[in-house]
Amino acid sequence: MKRILTTAISFAALALSFSCSGVPEGASQIAEEAPIFPDYKEVTVPENIAPLNFSYLGEGKAVLLAGDNVIKSCHGVFKFGGRKWRKLISEGKESGKVQFSLSVKKDGKWLSYKPFNIYFSQDKIDPWLSYRLIPPGYQGWQEMGIYQRNLESYSEEAILTNDLTGGNCMNCHTFLKGDPSKMVFHARSAFGGTIVVDEGEIEKLNTKTDSTISALVYPYWHPSGDYVAFSVNKTFQAFHNHDPNRIEVYDEASDVVVYNVNTKEIAWSPLTRTEDRFETFPTFSPDGKWLYFCSAEAVSPMPDKYRKARYGLYRIAFNAEDMSFGDTLECVYDAPADSASVSFPRISPDGRFLCFTRHGYGNFSIWHKDADLWLVDLTDGSLKPMEKVNSDDVESFHTWSSDGKWLVFSSRRDDGLYTKPYFTHIDADGNAGKPFLLPQKNPLAYYKRLMQSYNLPAFTTGKVKISRRKLVDVLRKSPGTDVQAR
Amino acid sequence: MNPFALAYRERQQLFIFDRTYILGTFLKVGGLATLLSRFIVQFFWNPTVALVLTLLSLALSAYMTWAIVRKSRNDWSVFSLCVIPSLFIGASLSDNSLHFDYFTAILLVQAGLLIYKGIKSHRTLWGVLLTIILYFTAGSAAVIFAISAAVPDSWRHSRLDRESHFPWTLLSIVAVALCGIVSYALALVPTWSEAFTPALYYDLDASLPVMHWAGWVTLSLVVICAGLAKPVPSKGWITVVSRIALLGVLFVPASKFSKKIEEKQPSLAYVFEHYAANEDWDGLVKSCGKAPWLPRTANYLNMALAWKGELSERLLEYDQRGPQSLVMTTKDRAVDVAQAHLMFTMGNVAAAQDVAFNSLSSLQGFCPDMVKLNAQVELMRGSYEVADKYLSLLEKAPRYRKWARKYRGFIFNDDAVEADPLLGNGRRNLAAENSFIMYTDPMSELFPILDVNPKDERALEYGLCYLLLAKDLNSVKRFITDYYSSPESPELPRIAQEAMVFYSEYSRNMEGIEPFGLDWCYEHGVKPETVKRFEEYQRAAVAGPVSLKKFRGTYWYYLVHTEI
Repeated sequence: MKRILTTAISFAALALSFSCSGVPEGASQIAEEAPIFPDYKEVTVPENIAPLNFSYLGEGKAVLLAGDNVIKSCHGVFKFGGRKWRKLISEGKESGKVQFSLSVKKDGKWLSYKPFNIYFSQDKIDPWLSYRLIPPGYQGWQEMGIYQRNLESYSEEAILTNDLTGGNCMNCHTFLKGDPSKMVFHARSAFGGTIVVDEGEIEKLNTKTDSTISALVYPYWHPSGDYVAFSVNKTFQAFHNHDPNRIEVYDEASDVVVYNVNTKEIAWSPLTRTEDRFETFPTFSPDGKWLYFCSAEAVSPMPDKYRKARYGLYRIAFNAEDMSFGDTLECVYDAPADSASVSFPRISPDGRFLCFTRHGYGNFSIWHKDADLWLVDLTDGSLKPMEKVNSDDVESFHTWSSDGKWLVFSSRRDDGLYTKPYFTHIDADGNAGKPFLLPQKNPLAYYKRLMQSYNLPAFTTGKVKISRRKLVDVLRKSPGTDVQAR
Repeated sequence: MNPFALAYRERQQLFIFDRTYILGTFLKVGGLATLLSRFIVQFFWNPTVALVLTLLSLALSAYMTWAIVRKSRNDWSVFSLCVIPSLFIGASLSDNSLHFDYFTAILLVQAGLLIYKGIKSHRTLWGVLLTIILYFTAGSAAVIFAISAAVPDSWRHSRLDRESHFPWTLLSIVAVALCGIVSYALALVPTWSEAFTPALYYDLDASLPVMHWAGWVTLSLVVICAGLAKPVPSKGWITVVSRIALLGVLFVPASKFSKKIEEKQPSLAYVFEHYAANEDWDGLVKSCGKAPWLPRTANYLNMALAWKGELSERLLEYDQRGPQSLVMTTKDRAVDVAQAHLMFTMGNVAAAQDVAFNSLSSLQGFCPDMVKLNAQVELMRGSYEVADKYLSLLEKAPRYRKWARKYRGFIFNDDAVEADPLLGNGRRNLAAENSFIMYTDPMSELFPILDVNPKDERALEYGLCYLLLAKDLNSVKRFITDYYSSPESPELPRIAQEAMVFYSEYSRNMEGIEPFGLDWCYEHGVKPETVKRFEEYQRAAVAGPVSLKKFRGTYWYYLVHTEI
């Protein structure tokens, strides 16, 4: 009781000792930046984001002045309760930013770190994020699942976990323009198949055909909802003995095909399915008239020549009326000419920008330390690295929000192995703000304890409301419908 | 019951004292049973403790059955019958695919039955409530509770109150059925089997052996029969003897069942893993020495010898059958704890991590040995943030806290890592020229390691012994030239000396081999006494097999008499 009283009195005294400038009386200002995790200094966040709690990483008692509010830390964590956060947001909406000042008591003296701002954008972010949680392992996993998280709170729930389906692998969940009711994903091994969800209807497809080299792999919806572009890949992986990139995932062959949701047929162009090239990572343009994909000159034998495989960015016309393709291939970015390789092309909903991952070679960029995000302005073909977004470590898979104002991407910047989702604001000219990490109640403890990677983060405009039971039953019981090659 | 199999359960889980783990485990169907089981199993790291704790728990279970039965029938002669369910539960626990929750769930059900039997009023209501609570805390074992509580009560009810039309106490069975249906509908369980049968406690989607029903069925039968059957007139010692005889009769199928399960279990691997995990190399040598001709056993044996620094010295004391005795190459490296240990011993830390990462977790949680190994390799790599992650996890488990704290001192301390014999050695090995792991044979990965770190004694011994066991004398000679020729090189092991003396003698008559003489041998560490013993061996070989007996354990004997 005595201890509680003493603490209460100390805090009261501390609050009283704050001057108008917001730092404790007599605190010395130091030029150092505040050591906090996550690094929310100078980030731009949407006004509907969950509170950005963070931890002070240094030693000593710390207090935070957030706008006009004094926030005390709880076990080193600065937590913004709902009311406080809303107040900060309203302050931020008025001035566009809120200033934070962190002061610590060291050797009996108060020191104030360099203040920092959090910028509040009035562009709201899509309220839900879907992702797969999986050990960043190499081949094995025991637990994995596709989850969704409300970005306006900390609430997370499973869409499907593999303990319900024999511990199998599930991957490549993709939504039609962020619509939570239209989803496709794959399940592998036991109870395997491709699941297509359309307004509560769930269908299982057997997508390996005699004419294609594998079952369907990397998907992307056509904006009409009538088609899904997929790659088919013969993929392998190998573990490096000593290389900063621990794993190499490589294709020995790959093609791009388009699946017709209504007729359950797949079709391709001779230009998307060639013997002498690897084609992968298809993406439709928002108007549905173009199919973009990555393509590399085929190299053999693999994996001996894995560093020689370099993918450029190409596009081919696509006619949704009759599921036909154009006669020519256009090169959007000849990355191999720059000794680089491209993966995961994704076009902003307004069709102006194309974001891709650029790295030295190969296509599986999550294992490439040099992987960075680049942006192409499709109006003039100019391209540039997203410097504010990139780090020394991996930046890889990314998706646009439904209004194109936000981009979520995978990054390994924090520990080099466990992937986390970062968000960045994109302005009308394609300039990205400093990205921020997915907020958690206690981010330091949470991310340190998390033994899984956030994989394939994707925005949805609402909550995915598929019955998990239905999903499990379809996966476990349905023999699946065979997909036919046209 | 194999105490090492019980101890292996501990190697498949990490009880973590944190909110995420405890809540995450608890908030599943049968979560409390899982938590309890994992709490108990964390003490199983010692096989004797594991056995004693299991036997004590089984005795407690038998006593609880007796305490339940006594509420209906206070007759000590029935006690022997109360042992029967524990007998079958104990037998079931021999199957490591059956999780320990199977047992703790039964204990919870027994506790529930004890409470229920003590309730005097509103028994139907309490029965339903306890059924629901038990379903979500103990899992499908609540079926035992519902049946064991409802059937005797309904029977008694129908006998006492013939006017009533509905035996309300059967509502417990309805409640358990509803709980199962809700769990299934909400996809809290994968199939109906997990909702209502012991399959909930069995490995995911594996087929449940029928015999695991025995514990459930006998427990229900004993409790129901005690509640239903008319008291048998006591005939003193005859009754007691007959019941003990029945117990004896049932002991036979229980023990047969247990043996049948144990035959299917990798019992030897449990023993080896125990010693390997505890770095008890003498214990491992002793346990492997009984059947060293089995490749996996030989792998463990030689690994222990390597850690003791006696691999080349004592290699041929045991029955070796070619290089597979040193390291079995396997295509499937997805989950293989033994392979991870082996690669780590050989100094191939990247390969060890490749396997260890895939073995990081089991169906029951994290594998502590693999978390430890990953933490060590991350420290070697200098990936301190990731090492910190693993060490933080281990620090939350009492058994591993001390170990983790010791290694925490290496985080962001390159000098300490490089000065540490184990971590420093591993870091030097990682500097080998890059290649993909396990593409060809283990030696192709060892050579680059030795090129950058010839002082890795275990890697050196493995390399030499591998070539010796492969009878590839030309490569042995090259290996000796490369790694045993400098003044800093260790002394040439006896078996390698024997190989070179033999090879020099026969190189003169072999085509395609450049002949070399004893001078080369002497220059490369062969001692005169080895040459002298070889002359004795040659005379013994002419004299016949009996004279050769004393040369068992020499490389000459291995070369001539062992088929690989």
